[in-house]
Amino acid sequence: MRPADPQQFFVGYVDGVPQRTRSFLAPLIALCLVVVASVAGLAATLQNDAGDGVFEFGVTKPFAGWIERLPHPVLVSPDPSGDGHSRYLLSAFGKHGADELFTGAPGAWYELEGTLVYRDGRSMIEVVAGSVSIATTPTGAVHPTASPDELGVRTLTGEIVDSKCYLGVMKPGNLKSHRACAVRCISGGVPPVLLVRDDEGYATYYLLVDDEGGAVNERVLPMVALPIEITGEVERHGDLLVLRSDPDSYTLLHE
Amino acid sequence: MGVGYRAVGWNRNKKRYDQVVLVGVLLSIAAFVVLSLVTDKGLTFETALIRSTAITAFLLLHVILCIGPLARLDQRFLPLLYNRRHLGVTMFAVAFVHGVFSLIQFHALGDTDPLVSLVTTPISGGAAGFPFQPLGAAALAILFLMAATSHDFWLANLTAPVWKALHMLVYAAYGLIVMHVALGALQDQRHPVLLAAVIVGLVLVLGLHLIAGFREKGSDREVAPSGTDDLTGWVDVGPADEIPDTRARILTVSGERVAVFRDGTRVFAMSNLCQHQNGPLGEGCVRDGLVTCPWHGYQYRPEDGQSPPPFHERVPTFATRVVDGRVWLDPEPRAAGTFVEPSTTTNP
Repeated sequence: MRPADPQQFFVGYVDGVPQRTRSFLAPLIALCLVVVASVAGLAATLQNDAGDGVFEFGVTKPFAGWIERLPHPVLVSPDPSGDGHSRYLLSAFGKHGADELFTGAPGAWYELEGTLVYRDGRSMIEVVAGSVSIATTPTGAVHPTASPDELGVRTLTGEIVDSKCYLGVMKPGNLKSHRACAVRCISGGVPPVLLVRDDEGYATYYLLVDDEGGAVNERVLPMVALPIEITGEVERHGDLLVLRSDPDSYTLLHE
Repeated sequence: MGVGYRAVGWNRNKKRYDQVVLVGVLLSIAAFVVLSLVTDKGLTFETALIRSTAITAFLLLHVILCIGPLARLDQRFLPLLYNRRHLGVTMFAVAFVHGVFSLIQFHALGDTDPLVSLVTTPISGGAAGFPFQPLGAAALAILFLMAATSHDFWLANLTAPVWKALHMLVYAAYGLIVMHVALGALQDQRHPVLLAAVIVGLVLVLGLHLIAGFREKGSDREVAPSGTDDLTGWVDVGPADEIPDTRARILTVSGERVAVFRDGTRVFAMSNLCQHQNGPLGEGCVRDGLVTCPWHGYQYRPEDGQSPPPFHERVPTFATRVVDGRVWLDPEPRAAGTFVEPSTTTNP
């Protein structure tokens, strides 16, 4: 389309747009704005639900209990009712585990400040730097002595996630978009867990350790955030499930 | 046009252009954030920011890439081309926010330097295990290079061909970003409409470029000299009255595109490449007696291809003759700015 009249030819530094061009372009620009907003809005509505994990950002609470090493430190805290114990996974600030924060002798009673992260009944504490101290075990506090329940060998299919992000610090805290972060967190010592969802979407978390009970963090990094099948011994430590398996036996399920 | 450098040579059209761009950016980000909240997707603020800026930058890039071929196909799109550099810089700024927040979100506060972490995410087999973030980072680096050199200062100092080659890297950036999206977000977000939207965008960009390319193919055909006697070695351009008044016919001689204009009874020719951004002068027109580039309005005098004082741009000129109503062109270019008497036709 070539306008014959040079005055109908658009020149940017000349004020205004020729009428013929203006009447052509104005509705197209309006349409373009509508399309841009619609596509962005549509993408928002079609994205996955980020889940209902909670990170009580900015809220710190006192916690106390014994440390159980699986091999990552897990806070075993007596329930206020005195009927049992709750187990909290632990992490430090940022993408770091809490291994180095608990240096006392086995059986020591710890007091600490932290921020809760929780999802699907599983909780983690992000420990406030410098808040950890060893104190006298309160009168009446009963250390759990029972051995873990051995639930036998199971083959489980799921995704390795870093427990801190998935439980609520990042939303979403799993799948490909989050993979680099999960790698960084697990590399930094955050406990890796196998996330398994049943057909109804109910989530179960298995703390991953090797067949000797040692940490697997560095060995699972290439397999994080990918569909995976793991066969191993499952143990129940109170309300926490642990999956013992050599990472060399993990099987990635590529599509 | 300008004789000196200013940060931005503002005028009314540029201000309006930027206002519309700003509205588009805000609309896109707001639409994404509001609908994420309304549909209760449970995103954190950081995720909403990262995603809304990602989709906004991606959409802007599509608009940027479509403007070029659209303006070649229909000159009524030229106002969109005029200030496209501001659109590009805006797109880079939005993409930069996406990139920086992603770097902080996914790589900071860990056991490794964030930039090292960015390029060392383990590779596993298949698309799901291929690290997609370095692809986005590479695209962002290209976009930075383009945004940083977008000013006319760089255009003049790098020269138009080098500057243009540099800015053609936008296609490499687009390819990297499509892969970044395909190997990243689309691995998680499996709704088929999202995949379809990316494909539609790709087809739109490629399709418009192919159509515009085919349209131009005609003028790329080399025209061989066919003159005899005193026109030996000259090229037959065709009947003068087939060149629309104040417009040009573009033909390729000796491997170079030449624009042959008719302005009433005057016929003259010059290089088709505007000295500013190598815009297609032959798709411009003669306005106020001057050849005017369709891209940014740079102007050249018909007789010597020089911009009128105080401007100093100039392009090569070519000799023309009109014989029996047909225009003939000497394919030998004269040095840029050389005076060549326009020929005349008796049939305006």
